[in-house]
Amino acid sequence: MIQRKLTLVMENKPGALARVVGLFHQRGYNIDSLHVDPIEDFEPFRFIEDELGIKFQVGEVSRLTIRTTVGDKLMRQILRQINKLIEVIAVSDDESTYLKGVLRNENLL
Amino acid sequence: MKIAGNDILIQSLINEGVEYIFGYPGGAALHIYDSIFNQKEMQHILVRHEQGATHAADGYARATGKPGVVLVTSGPGATNAITGIATAFMDSIPMVVISGQVQSHLIGTDAFQETDMIGVSRPIVKHSFTVDKQENIAQIVKEAFHIATSGRQGPVVIDVPKDLTNPDELFDFNYPEKANIRSYNPPVKPENHQVSRAVDAILTAERPVIYAGGGTISSNASCELRELNELLDFPVTNTLMGLGVYPGTGKRFLGMLGMHGTYQANMAMHNADLIIAVGARFDDRITNTPEKFAPKAKVIHFDVDHSSVSKIIEADIAVFGQVKDSLKAINNYLRSRKDEINREKISPWHQQIREWKEKYGLNHELYKNDSDEHPILPQAAVQHIYQESEGKAFVTSDVGQHQMFAAQYYHFDEPRKWINSGGLGTMGFGLPSAMGVKLAYPEEEVICITGEGSIQMCIQELSTCSQYKLPIKIFNINNLALGMVKQWQDMNYDGRHSSISYEDSLPDFVGLAESYGHVGIKITKNSELKEGIAKALAIKDKLVFVDIYVDPNEHVYPMLVAPNGSLKDMWLGKGEKT
Ligand SMILES: Cc1ncc(C[n+]2csc(CCOP(=O)(O)OP(=O)(O)O)c2C)c(N)n1
Ligand SMILES: [Mg+2]
Repeated sequence: MIQRKLTLVMENKPGALARVVGLFHQRGYNIDSLHVDPIEDFEPFRFIEDELGIKFQVGEVSRLTIRTTVGDKLMRQILRQINKLIEVIAVSDDESTYLKGVLRNENLL
Repeated sequence: MKIAGNDILIQSLINEGVEYIFGYPGGAALHIYDSIFNQKEMQHILVRHEQGATHAADGYARATGKPGVVLVTSGPGATNAITGIATAFMDSIPMVVISGQVQSHLIGTDAFQETDMIGVSRPIVKHSFTVDKQENIAQIVKEAFHIATSGRQGPVVIDVPKDLTNPDELFDFNYPEKANIRSYNPPVKPENHQVSRAVDAILTAERPVIYAGGGTISSNASCELRELNELLDFPVTNTLMGLGVYPGTGKRFLGMLGMHGTYQANMAMHNADLIIAVGARFDDRITNTPEKFAPKAKVIHFDVDHSSVSKIIEADIAVFGQVKDSLKAINNYLRSRKDEINREKISPWHQQIREWKEKYGLNHELYKNDSDEHPILPQAAVQHIYQESEGKAFVTSDVGQHQMFAAQYYHFDEPRKWINSGGLGTMGFGLPSAMGVKLAYPEEEVICITGEGSIQMCIQELSTCSQYKLPIKIFNINNLALGMVKQWQDMNYDGRHSSISYEDSLPDFVGLAESYGHVGIKITKNSELKEGIAKALAIKDKLVFVDIYVDPNEHVYPMLVAPNGSLKDMWLGKGEKT
């Protein structure tokens, strides 16, 4: 087991963060650290805007970073579970990204 | 035209085509109830407990494929709905639950009847919404229905603070045509390379099994599954949730698999070289010890939910997408390679399965023995119910031995006819879910096969059945105990029957049914069984409660040996193992 980093871009809505944290607890995964900020600089996320055909407004979306210590198989499962949260726009680990439900084999975030 | 928040909510439901809303009023929901009073398009069904409302909506949804709708008040109304929401969540049933909430300015103050419904329900919903202002109600309802009914379906909660349904504040109302949720995109069509890899594996298999579950039913893919089977002639097994998706009397049907699956279904899975999992999730009641599951099999997994695939059993080939679309794609591609289908190749496998079935298959003719020298076998009771209803009824069930006997001995030839809580295993589900089914299909026979333990968990709904004149037929498989628990105590605790009986305190069910205005029938002997069941089914305009006293010492077999067993390790009878 090694420590891994997950990055999420999600809607900045009331209760959204609680869904992510709740999911970790509910499925028995542990959070080593968590950091969340509203996104102010959209430059690194232009590809998401292009992909979804939208423009983000300031304060609308947040970026979350979670560190967790798990094996490979569980990491894949966590990623897939997070992808299912309705308010998550994109989530990635070192190797893959789910962007609006579609899997890409690289870390785009 | 401008209307108030309560009317916006109700008009939105009407726009969604909601026919029935199952609920129970209270302070925080009163403005909403006033709107219900003022309209005629949708009927409110007043249950006797909010758990009943959720199960009734759930039964309606399972039988029709349309979302079930529930309305409850804040606090205790909302918490009473939790078991039903969890039940729907575990079985991926589309449902929209509207809960009243205390006024916005009181939230967080421990106000009267305040419960954080969003927090309490979070782990058991697909999604939830708190209404923040009246202008957003219509959009939220639209999105809630879209989320509940798309992708892997499930329950959605909408929590509505009372002040936002105030009849005195008016707003424009336009019901949106589409829900546009930019962060949500459930997969629809499978990818071509996944389809062709699956077909390659299918064409080379020698010992294949199709293992179809509830996802095949939610996706309305029964036709496509049957087409696939016509092309391939493969053996088919169904999960408890999948019964009916392939005909229960079909030539290639192995019966249910898993914990109480048939010998031939479990043996076929264990020895297969290819398992085609369709809308099924390798639950622990199916796999037994995952490390020992089907050691020789390659696995193709069709599912709409990425997180279900390779969660328990690693899939060799994954086909993501609505199961219906995926099966269509497979069938089309298979047709183009039709001359590669070699039925000869699998005939020894069919022969092997026939031998297993002959050796230890279930005895479906127990009902023929009507001697009064022995007590009624619960299996025979179900067989009679099957015969007398000609296998055509909707059957709801509760949880326990009676549920397993119903699954084993009532053969469902159509999907959506077998309505049971597979994932959560919720006692109390049977009667209220039957109400939802009966409202949806008033002309069809709706049967509830229950146990004297389970029925008492939502027995208050007998009153609802009387109010709305729902002539359900309840068959209470009465073994005077929590039979399934007792069976485990017999098998694992040397017969120490801790807290499973209440023999002297059971109600007189016939008298109880009659007190609600229903008909009650008591059956204690084999010689009365056929006639009693026929008599109940012949009464078309009344609910009939048939209390059938069965052998209290019967066990459900086969039963997987656990822990550490594989699918080939089964108890076949008392003290008899494979
Ligand atoms: C709400 C709830 N509580 C407890 C259980 C555990 N449980 C599973 S089966 C069972 C016994 C059910 O008894 P009964 O309804 O009489 O059915 P039988 O097994 O006797 O046919 C119990 C207590 C459950 N499934 N659901
Ligand atoms: Mg019982």
